[in-house]
Amino acid sequence: MDYDLGADAVELRKRLRDLISTHIPEGFLGACTDDPKDLTTTESFCKLLASDGLLALAWPKEHGGGGGSIWQQTVLREEMWAHHEPRGAQYMGINWVGPALMRYGTAEQKTRHLSAIASGEVIWCQGFSEPEAGTDLASLRTRAVPDGDGWRVTGQKVWTSYAQMASWCVLAACTDPNAPKPKRLSLFLVPMDRPGITVRPIRSMLGPHHLNEVFLDGIEVFADEVLGEVGDGWRVMREALAFERVGIARYARCESLLDRMQTDLGDDWDRLPESIRARWVRALIDLRVARLLAYRAVSLQHDPSAGAAASAARIATTTCDQQVAELLFDVLGPSALDSGTSARLHGAVEDHWRYAQAATVASGTIEVQRMLVAREALGDHG
Amino acid sequence: MNTALPEDITEFAAVAAKRFARFGGPQAALRAETEEHLRDEARSALADLGAFDLDVRSSADDLLAAAVLCQAAGAAALPYPLAEEVLAIDGARLALVNPEAPRIDHGDLAGEWIAADLDGTRYHVQPSSRTSAKLGPFLVPATLTGPDGTVPAADVDTHLTLGSWRILGALQQALEITRQHVTTRMQFGKPLAEFQAVRFTIADASVAVRGLFELAKFTISRPESTAGQVRSADALVLRLKAADTARQVLRTAHQLLGALGFCDESDVSVLDRHTQPLIRLPVSSEMLALRLMPGVRGGQLETLFSEPVAAEPV
Repeated sequence: MDYDLGADAVELRKRLRDLISTHIPEGFLGACTDDPKDLTTTESFCKLLASDGLLALAWPKEHGGGGGSIWQQTVLREEMWAHHEPRGAQYMGINWVGPALMRYGTAEQKTRHLSAIASGEVIWCQGFSEPEAGTDLASLRTRAVPDGDGWRVTGQKVWTSYAQMASWCVLAACTDPNAPKPKRLSLFLVPMDRPGITVRPIRSMLGPHHLNEVFLDGIEVFADEVLGEVGDGWRVMREALAFERVGIARYARCESLLDRMQTDLGDDWDRLPESIRARWVRALIDLRVARLLAYRAVSLQHDPSAGAAASAARIATTTCDQQVAELLFDVLGPSALDSGTSARLHGAVEDHWRYAQAATVASGTIEVQRMLVAREALGDHG
Repeated sequence: MNTALPEDITEFAAVAAKRFARFGGPQAALRAETEEHLRDEARSALADLGAFDLDVRSSADDLLAAAVLCQAAGAAALPYPLAEEVLAIDGARLALVNPEAPRIDHGDLAGEWIAADLDGTRYHVQPSSRTSAKLGPFLVPATLTGPDGTVPAADVDTHLTLGSWRILGALQQALEITRQHVTTRMQFGKPLAEFQAVRFTIADASVAVRGLFELAKFTISRPESTAGQVRSADALVLRLKAADTARQVLRTAHQLLGALGFCDESDVSVLDRHTQPLIRLPVSSEMLALRLMPGVRGGQLETLFSEPVAAEPV
């Protein structure tokens, strides 16, 4: 038993921190801001990572990846999220669209998409959730009706992150409403400039680009755009999402924010109320536990118990996200609501609090994670 | 990185669990409150397993074996001061105490004791007799004299760590008992486990226990090269998390077992009452948090971003 990430992973962490300090401007809070320069920053940083084989570190080298170990991938996840995800909107393409293409894509689809994703040239979005099908995705209503060799798709997607900036979408639609639920859906790889697609941004407390509506008005999709088999979309979706089972390394952003805030406070840290400092200690402990649960889930990735282990890690890390958000707001007191670059830590605390509200909702709600952990503990009762 | 317990250690833990079951588990611990000979038999069970041959100070393998032994002892509420005896100094069991209110679990057992506080200050100790307490029935008030030198910080750390493994074992067992109860207990025509509120409560307790287990493994595996101050902080971190988790999980167990969980015929009652000294002593978790505060700025409480703490000169 040892908790050494390995020399290559330690070296990678140092290299990533060097790259970030050199190429990411101070106060960068991610691509999803009102400042277009932030998107430009992520685009150039992605190309830089790609040129070093770091953007698609987990991918096999034959597809333009870096062939990195699982612990190097873990370090990459941690460092990117800790530094406000300078890969920007590439996260989805790299972390599950690419791996899903490798497993289910045709040779033509692989040729067309994989190298573009690995080089950071394209942004993907995910057209899954609908107004009446969120967690229960198998019930989605967007219809794909056969039309010639392909289909005509009509429906509405919602909460679609990055839809405004994306050039491609993995679109889930019902191809056979009379089939059993697991066989109703198909996945399509659709360019976002296809006639009939309209994107409407949704103003939200999370900030721009996070949430959008996508309207599909009889858009044409073609037979060669199906990912996997027709009617097999539910299985592909579930297996594809398992590539990202461990999820975002939220604990790393929290540890980074606490570190930055402590440095910023200097000796004032010792003058914080004792109750706040005690919460700070407990937050660091809970973050350590969340990190260790994530490491456990990573190490079990091919084990049958990996699902529940990943859900446990997600529950721990998403609740830490909100715990740290509240702690930092209480540290800042009256200035907690200040935003923008003139605010404390360039507004990172206020930004974190807003985004943390979605931590227990996005990518599988905490209730779903609890159901999965309970299922392992109790069996299928209920 | 390898986060799994080694196979031989897992096998040793299974053997220990069987031996403690043969001793009688928590119900034997309950009887030991009034039947003196049972604590001798508990010691015999530990001796059978080679507990007192473990060199926890200089062998990482022995330390890990002691940890899983403490875990199994915690699950059985084994009525014997295991960590105190494997850390004995010159044949005297080592007790961790709060000098302001010194109390020693099983302090009435025959044999010598020495006491140390969390700073490592060593005291002569004179235990008195048991008080028939419900919580911590083997807890004995003691009188300290001294101070009389120090014990190594590593001993204090190991004491806290092994005690935390014992808490872990008790919590894993309490959760297992609760799991069995909710899957078999019928209410409103169906098992409790079919109610979502119950399932979510079990899920939260399960995540808490999983997390404590991972933290316990991490803490016991810290390499020799880790700075002493960091190891001390690690031990405090583990004990604080163990105490906090104990409150959550035992509360869950009581709530879901209903009135049954308060009865001594339920192992949850025995596990809870007998584990209380470890959860509360030598100091409360709030005091542990206070002790950890300087480590936040000093870097002893390590994070992904803290600067490395230099090893102190020997």
